[in-house]
Amino acid sequence: MQDLNVPANPLETLAYIIAQQIHDHSIVYIGTGIPMVAGILAKKTHAPNITIVYESGGQDPIQGDMPWSVGCPFTWRKSPTIMEMSYSFAQCYNGYVDIGFLGFAQVDMYGNVNTHIIGKDFHKPKVRLTGSGGNNDLSSLTENMVLVGLQTPDKFPEKVDFITSVGHLTGGNSRQEAGLIGNGPSAVISPWGVYDFEPVSKRMRVKTLTPGVTFDIAQQLTGFELLRPAGEIPETKLITPEALKIVRTEVDPRGVFTTMPTA
Amino acid sequence: MAKYLYNQEAVANLKLSDMSVLDRLVDFESARAAHLKKEHAKKDKRMSLAEAVSTFVQDGDVITDAGFSYVRTPHQAFNEVIRQGKKNLQMIGAPNTNQSFFISYGCVAYSHNSYSGAEMRGIDRSYDRMLKAGRVKILSEWSHGGVAQGFKAAQLGTPGVFSKQMLASDIVRYNPYLKVMQHPLRGDHDPVVFVPALYPDVAIIHCHAADKYGNAYIYGPAVNDLAVAAATRKLIITAEEIVPENDIRYNKKGSIIPFFYADAVVELPFGAVPGNMPGYYYWSRQWWEKLMRFGGASDENMKSFLDEWIMGTKDQFEFIDKLGGAKWIAEARRQTKAAEGDNEDIDFSYEEYTLKHDSGLYY
Repeated sequence: MQDLNVPANPLETLAYIIAQQIHDHSIVYIGTGIPMVAGILAKKTHAPNITIVYESGGQDPIQGDMPWSVGCPFTWRKSPTIMEMSYSFAQCYNGYVDIGFLGFAQVDMYGNVNTHIIGKDFHKPKVRLTGSGGNNDLSSLTENMVLVGLQTPDKFPEKVDFITSVGHLTGGNSRQEAGLIGNGPSAVISPWGVYDFEPVSKRMRVKTLTPGVTFDIAQQLTGFELLRPAGEIPETKLITPEALKIVRTEVDPRGVFTTMPTA
Repeated sequence: MAKYLYNQEAVANLKLSDMSVLDRLVDFESARAAHLKKEHAKKDKRMSLAEAVSTFVQDGDVITDAGFSYVRTPHQAFNEVIRQGKKNLQMIGAPNTNQSFFISYGCVAYSHNSYSGAEMRGIDRSYDRMLKAGRVKILSEWSHGGVAQGFKAAQLGTPGVFSKQMLASDIVRYNPYLKVMQHPLRGDHDPVVFVPALYPDVAIIHCHAADKYGNAYIYGPAVNDLAVAAATRKLIITAEEIVPENDIRYNKKGSIIPFFYADAVVELPFGAVPGNMPGYYYWSRQWWEKLMRFGGASDENMKSFLDEWIMGTKDQFEFIDKLGGAKWIAEARRQTKAAEGDNEDIDFSYEEYTLKHDSGLYY
C-alpha cells in the first residue's frame, strides 16, 4: 500500500490528465503502461460506463490487478469474448473504438511516432527499440488518438528517426491524402504539458501547461518550434486528492506503473 | 515457383542482396502442395517432443512465434528447437518477442520484425546488440496488425488483403512484401496496402488440450494461432493434456484447431513455462525480469542465463524444479486463477528481481 501523504508524482499526474480525455460511455483502446492506469482511473471516477479493450482482443474485462502486458489475464478477465488479433484492430477500422492511447519513444511536430530506432541509420542505430507492435495499427485506424510519453528535446524532435506510426504526416491534409483512417492524434500528453494540433497546419501547439511550466520552458523541452495558442495559456488541471487516493489504493496500489523509476 | 515483384525500395533499404530468401513466406503453391500432401486421414499423431522437432523443424524454415510473447507461448518446445541446434531459421510472429532466444544460439538468422521486448519490463537490449553485431538480419518490418492480416488472409483462402494499416509509415519502406496501391474499385484517390497471405514453414502451438489426432483446444486469447495453424506448412501441436476425441466434441467449446492441420501431437504439460498458461499457471515474473535486466546487460550475462535455463535443463520438469518445483506450481496456479477471477483475490506483491536484489524466488 502506498503512502497517501506523499504528493503526486509526475506519472500519477500524467495518469489523471490522460483519464480526463476519456468520455463516459465510449469504447477505449488501451496500450501498455500509464494508459492502463488512466483507463481504470477514468472508469472508477467520471466515466464508469466505458468499455476498455486491449490488443490481446480482451473486451470489457472485470477489473483486477494492474495488467503487466496487453496479453495478460487482467486484460481479458471474464471478458464476454476475446477477439483474435486481426479482428481486434479491425474494431478500430470499422468504427467501434472512440479513442486510443499510445506511448512513444519519439514524437515529432506533426504527431508522427517512432518506436523503432534511435539514430538515423537503420542498420546501425544508436538503439534498436521494440518496433511497432500495435502502435502503427491503432494510429492508422483509430478515430481519435492520444499520445503519451516523456518530454525532452530528443523525445520531441523536429523529425522522428523512423515513422513507426503516422500522425499528421507532413501537416495539412497529408494524413487523409495518404489514405489513413481517423483524425490522427488529437493530443500529446507529457508530464509538463498537454499539446494539441493547430487545425490547419496540424503542427503541435501548446494547450495547457503544468503549473510552474512556462511556454519558454516547454519550448526548451522541445526540439522544434511549438505553436502558441492565442491568449493566456491555461494551467493543466492537476490530480485531485480524491483521484490520487483512488490511484494509490484501488487502481495501482503496488505502483506498477506509477512509481517513478529509480536510477 | 512464382515470380515475386518485391517492393524494391524496401529491398534497397534493407540491403538485401539475395531476394530468394523472401520467397517461402509468400509461396502459396508450395504451401498448398504441402497441405495436400500431408496426412489427411484421422490418425494417431502422437510423438515425443524431440521426435516432433527433429522431424518437422528443418534448417532454413520460416518458424512462427506463437501465443502472445509470454502468454501461451510454446517456450519448452522452443527450448528443444534450440537444444537440437537448428540453423538458419527465419522467424515471424506478432509479437516476435521470442526470436531473441533463438538468435542467441545462432538458430534464427533472419527476422520478420513486428515487436521485440517485454513491454513494461523494457526493451530487448540483447536483440539490439545482436542486430548491430550482424547476428540476425531483418528481412521485413511489420506492425502487429499487418502480420495478423497476412496470416488471416491465408486462413481466409485469399492471395492477400488490402489494408489501411502501415500506410505512409517507414514500415512500408522496410517491408519487401508490402505494396501501396490505389483501391481498385474507387475512382477517387484512395491508397491501400496490399498485404500478401503469409505461409510459414512450421508453427508450434501450445494448447490446453488435444486429442491424439490433433484437434486442439485453446482457452483464453487465441491471438493469431488459429490463422497460423491454417497457413503453416507444418504444424506441431503441444498440449497440456491429451484427451479423448469426445471430450473435444462434447465439452471444449471455444477456439479449436482442427486435426487435419496438425502433423504432430505432443503431450507436454507445462509447455508454456516460464510464461503464462491461461487457466493453468501464471508466468514467472522474476524469471522474465532476470532475463531482461541481468541477461539484457551483456552478451556474457545472456549466455550464462540461457545456458543455465535452456541448455542446463533437458525438459520442462527440470525447468520447473529450478523454478521451485511443486511450490512453484501451486503458486503459479493460485496466481493465474486469481488473475482470471476464478479464485479469491490475492495479493500480487512479490520480490521483484533487480540487479541489486535477487531473492532466488521465481514466484
